[in-house]
Parts: sequence; C-alpha cells; structure tokens
Amino acid sequence: MMSLKEFENRNVSEGAYYKVDIPDYPETGWEKAKQVFSRAIKGELFVGLYIVMREMIKFDIHTVQYPKEKLPIGPRYRAVHEMQRLWESGTERCIGCGLCEKICISDCIRMDTKIDEQSRKQVTEYTINLGRCIFCGYCAEVCPELAIVHGGRYENTSEQRAHYIGYEDMLTPFDMAVKGQVAEYPGFGAITPHEDERVKSTPLAY
Amino acid sequence: MEAIAFYLFAVLTTVMFLITVLTNHALYALSALAAGMIFISAFFFLLGADFLGAIQIIVYTGAVMALYAFGMMFFDTTRDVVESRTSPQIIFGLSGLAALTVVAMFTAPIISENITALYPAIDGVGNSQMVGMVLFTKFLIPFEVAAVMLLVAMIAGIVLAGKKMDHSLTLMKEEEIERETNEKAQV
Amino acid sequence: MEVAYIIETLIKIVVILLVFSALAGFGTYFERKILAFMQRRLGPMHVGPFGLLQIAADGIKLFTKEDIVPTNAVGPIFKIAPVITAATAFMAAAAIPFLPQFTIFGYTVHPIVADVNIGILYILGVMAVGFYGPLLGSLASSNKFALISAARAASVFISYEVVTGLSLLAPLMMVGSFSLIDFNNYQAGGIGDWIIWSQPVAFVLFWIAAFAETGRTPFHLVANDHEIIDGFGTEYSGMRWGLFFIGEYANMFFISFVIVLLFLGGFGDGSVLGALGFLLKMSFFFFFFLWTRAAWPDIRPDQLMWLCWKVLMPLAVINVVVTGFVMMF
Repeated sequence: MMSLKEFENRNVSEGAYYKVDIPDYPETGWEKAKQVFSRAIKGELFVGLYIVMREMIKFDIHTVQYPKEKLPIGPRYRAVHEMQRLWESGTERCIGCGLCEKICISDCIRMDTKIDEQSRKQVTEYTINLGRCIFCGYCAEVCPELAIVHGGRYENTSEQRAHYIGYEDMLTPFDMAVKGQVAEYPGFGAITPHEDERVKSTPLAY
Repeated sequence: MEAIAFYLFAVLTTVMFLITVLTNHALYALSALAAGMIFISAFFFLLGADFLGAIQIIVYTGAVMALYAFGMMFFDTTRDVVESRTSPQIIFGLSGLAALTVVAMFTAPIISENITALYPAIDGVGNSQMVGMVLFTKFLIPFEVAAVMLLVAMIAGIVLAGKKMDHSLTLMKEEEIERETNEKAQV
Repeated sequence: MEVAYIIETLIKIVVILLVFSALAGFGTYFERKILAFMQRRLGPMHVGPFGLLQIAADGIKLFTKEDIVPTNAVGPIFKIAPVITAATAFMAAAAIPFLPQFTIFGYTVHPIVADVNIGILYILGVMAVGFYGPLLGSLASSNKFALISAARAASVFISYEVVTGLSLLAPLMMVGSFSLIDFNNYQAGGIGDWIIWSQPVAFVLFWIAAFAETGRTPFHLVANDHEIIDGFGTEYSGMRWGLFFIGEYANMFFISFVIVLLFLGGFGDGSVLGALGFLLKMSFFFFFFLWTRAAWPDIRPDQLMWLCWKVLMPLAVINVVVTGFVMMF
C-alpha cells in the first residue's frame, strides 16, 4: 500500500525505473537470419489472429451505449448545484449568509437578500453562472447549513455561452421535500457516514 | 464499330503524347505518357493481340511508375519546370525529322503489294500460345540475348547502387566520421 | 444476335457496378463491425437496426459534402485520380466469373462480362493501373504527407508486382491458360484437385502480394493514418474521397474472388452447392482482410521492400524452377 513516506521521496530516479527485457538488435547476417527464423517459427502473427478471434467469439462487449445507458457516478462527484430544503417542514435551508458568494473562486455566484416580514433573512435572488463555474465544490464545502450541494446532473447544454442557473431551478420542489423524498447530499462538504458515533459530548465542565 | 474505336484511340493516343511533349509540367507530362501507353494497348486489343495488349499495360504501368519516382525526386511536380532552351528551332527540326524517318521506315512496306505475315495467325490456337511458339522457336536467341542483357543491367545496377551499402553514418562513431571528413578534405 | 449480346453485356456491367458499389458500402460496415467486435466494442449502433443504415448515412454525407480542390493542387489530375482508382477496380472485374453459368427463363447466362483468353493477365494489369489513383492524387494535392504517400505508392508498386507475377507463373504453367474459367475447370474435380495442394508456396505468396495490391493492413503504407494522416486522401473530401474508398473495397472483393478462382477451386463443377461454396470461400478471404487489420501491426516501407525483393521473390523464382522440373520429368 502507498504510504506518505513514498510520496515524500522526491528522488524519482531511484527504483522508479526498471529495464524491459529486450534482446539486442542482431548485427551479423547470421544473427538476423536466426531472428527471422525464430520469429517465423514462433508464429507470432497467428497468436495475434487467435487473440482477436477469441475476443470476437467471446463477445464480451464493453461498450456503454451512452444516451441509453449511463454509468453510475460517484457520490462525491461535483456536477450542477442543487438547493436543498429541510425535511418534513420543507423550509429552504439557505439562510442567506453569503459565504458561498465570498468563497467562490471563479466569481460565479451572485446573491441578494433582504429582511422579510418575520425579520428573517430571505434570499431574493440567487444565480450561479455555470459558464464560469469550475465545479470546485468550495461553495458546498463552506455552506454551514448543507443548503447548496452538488447534484448529479452532469449533462449541460445551452444555447448561450453564459448560461445562468437561477435559484428556482436549483431548489428542490416543495412537495418532494414534504414527502421526505429529498436525498440527503452525501457528497462534498457533507457529514461523512457514521459521524454520530464519533461525536463526543462537548466538554462543558471547565 | 472497329473503325470508330480505332479513330477514337488514335486521337486519344496522339493527344496524350502531344501533351507529354509540349507541356512544361512534370506531372502532366508523366500522366499523359502513362495514359498514352495504356491507350496504345487498345490497338493491340483491336487487332486481336490480347496477350500483347495486357503485357503493354503491365509493363508500361511499372515503367512509368519508376519515372514518377524520378520525377518526385527531381522536380516539384505541382509546378512548371523552367527549362533553358538554347535553340528550340534546331531541336524541333531534328527531332521532327527523326520521327518522320522512323514513321517512313515502318510504313514503307505498306505501299508494296506482296506483303505477307511470316507467322500467320492460326485458328483455334490461343494468342499467348502463338506468341510463345514464335518466341521460343524463331526468336529464341534474340529473346535469350535480351534476357542476358537485362541480367547484366540488373547486376550493374546492384553493383553501382550497392557500393556504399555497408557505409552508415548513423552506426559510425563520432571519431570515425571526423577522420573520414578529414581524409576527404585532404584529398 | 449481335444486339442481344450487347444488351446482355450492358446488363451484366450495370449489375456488377451496382452490386459491387453496394457491396463496397457494406464492406465498410462489415469492417467497422468486425473490427469493433474484435476490440470488444459494438461499432455503429445508432442509425437503423444494428447501425445498418450507417451506410446510407455515410453515403448521404459523402455526396453532400463540399468538394474542395486545394488552391495549389494540380486541378485536372487531382480530379481524375479517384476516378482512376474506382474505374480500374471495376474494369478488372470484367474478366472475373462471379458465378457458374446458369439458365434463367431458358436463357443461359454467363456471369462474366468478357471471357478473354488472357483473363488473369488483364486483371493484374488493370489492378496495377489502379495504383495510379493514389499516386496521381497524392502528387497532385501538393501536400507533404501526400508526397510521402506517393513515394510509398511507387515503392510498394515496384515491390509487390514482381511477387504477384512470379508467384502466378507456377500455377499458370500447370494450367496452361490465362483464363480464369480454364483455371476453374482445371480444379473442377473436387477438393483434391485444388491448386493450393500442388502450389502451396505460390498460394501464400500471391496472398501476401494481394495485401500489398489492395493496400490492406500489414502493407497499409500508402495511407497509414498514424504516420501520414490519410496519405493520398489527406486533401480529398466528399465523393472524390469516397471513390477512393469504393475502389479499395471493390478491389478487396475482386482479389478475393481471384484468389479463390486461382487456388481454391472456384465454383467447382458449377452446381448450386459449388456456387455457394465459391461465395463462402470468397467471404473468408474478405473477412481475412478485416481480421488482419485488427490483429497485425503495419510494417515500414523498407521492410516491405526487403520482404518482397529479398524473401518473396527468391521464393517465387525457386517455386517456378521446381514446378518446371516436376512438370518436365
């Protein structure tokens, strides 16, 4: 297994290279004749023919017919963002703190907030310019509420170069959230599995 | 039917060889030469000499292909070749005269009445068999002499080309190359 | 009689043109499919069932693409080169009997356009002329890769042509005729009569030369994609490039027919079974062209010349001499 020590060794010439076993080129006529003879007798050409024929008969096809079939993507894959709602109540998780806007290194998140009637902060405008987004995942990592996450939608086409994605497009539909159909985000910035077991009680007794 | 074909191929062949002679463009000249040679085979087919026709095609495709190889080496085949002609009138006159003489020599017997084929075509015997029979009975010695001449030419070619075959600059050491260039410089 | 003969010949020519143009299209499909299967892929799948309509899609694409003649190219020769390849391929087919003769509506049909008595010489000669297509196309397109391709075409041509001729000489001596029909009748007695048993060396040599003749993979130097882009086809687009392709695939089919007729008994006694066997044998040789493309690497031009001049040609000459001695005594 790889350990940190192996990475710390920057001297790559030691032990990293090994010689491939290739015989020397034949120089005299006799050596050349011997090489031709041994290659002809070994029938390497027919080995090649046999191998491709075997693969054709086995018919073990590895093609993924992409638009019809899709390979599963990893849970930590960073595709187009989603905005989560709270379970059961269906309230938006975003508290309008603006951390994602601040941390975004390609400056593609833009948000506007106001204080609503219940004197809570409300997000009035939230856009991500997917044309600029580099899908680094910082926004999802920094979000204190697990509100902005990376979803699994990786097929992006647009007629515009600067395709904005609005808050409404990203927000989980209300009825789905109420029914509990919101899949908790397992990806970047989320709590790792079995985190509960590792939680220790806050040392309150000073 | 035969007359139409004859005149068609006669015109085509003449035009092709005219292009070969008159153009300054290496690629046009070579292609016209190849086309003309292939069109000539049509006359053999028209005369019923199928074997000679096919041989004409095979031999001249290979021969002109070798000319193409030379053309590729010596010219930019997509450009006109700039020639310096000192006295085009004399060249034209002399070559025209020579060509006329050859034509006259070969067409002269046509005027004579009592011309017969030495080896008339035999019915029921294939074309290639007839060629073979004549070649290996009447013309055996010229045939063999031609073969020996070709062999001599081939050996001469190998000797000329193979003189420095074992001499490879890539396999030589730096000092050896230096020594050689010094020797050449002294000479 | 004369008119009927002309009409019959015209019909044969049209049928051969249509069938083999279509087969050239199907040939590309088979090639893509078989190569894909051998490399654990599926090949064309999306156009039509199992990608069968891919041929039509390719055809439409080739026909509707813009026809570009580069500024510095030598126009007339650039334009005529693909026509040479395609035309000579089909002209060579004139002397090939594609099926045994059969009777339809009381009319006996000979599925050969012209049974000339120099059949095999004619076929080889015309196929050799076909090499002018790539050569002229590449010389005329004023492109560096095409120029390399032209040099390779010339060197390949002068190497393989000798092997083809000399390897054929021994079977020709045995049969005593250039006609492919005579070749077929010579071997009509059954599997034991096939020339391959008496001339195995000539068979292998001719087969190797056929790969050079059609420019297929071990000897695919003229248009080797990973070295010289598409060689002679680099500057071509649309149907002009398509004509090169049709010529290449038609040549593959025709040379497969010729190999079977020369060495493997052809259509035998001319029964339905014999005709089916003929087509089967032909398909095997066509399949082998695709098979080697999946399995074998390409060789360098100097290696091809070395192989042809120093190995295959002496073998062919020895074969001719041995055959002559055996026939004499």
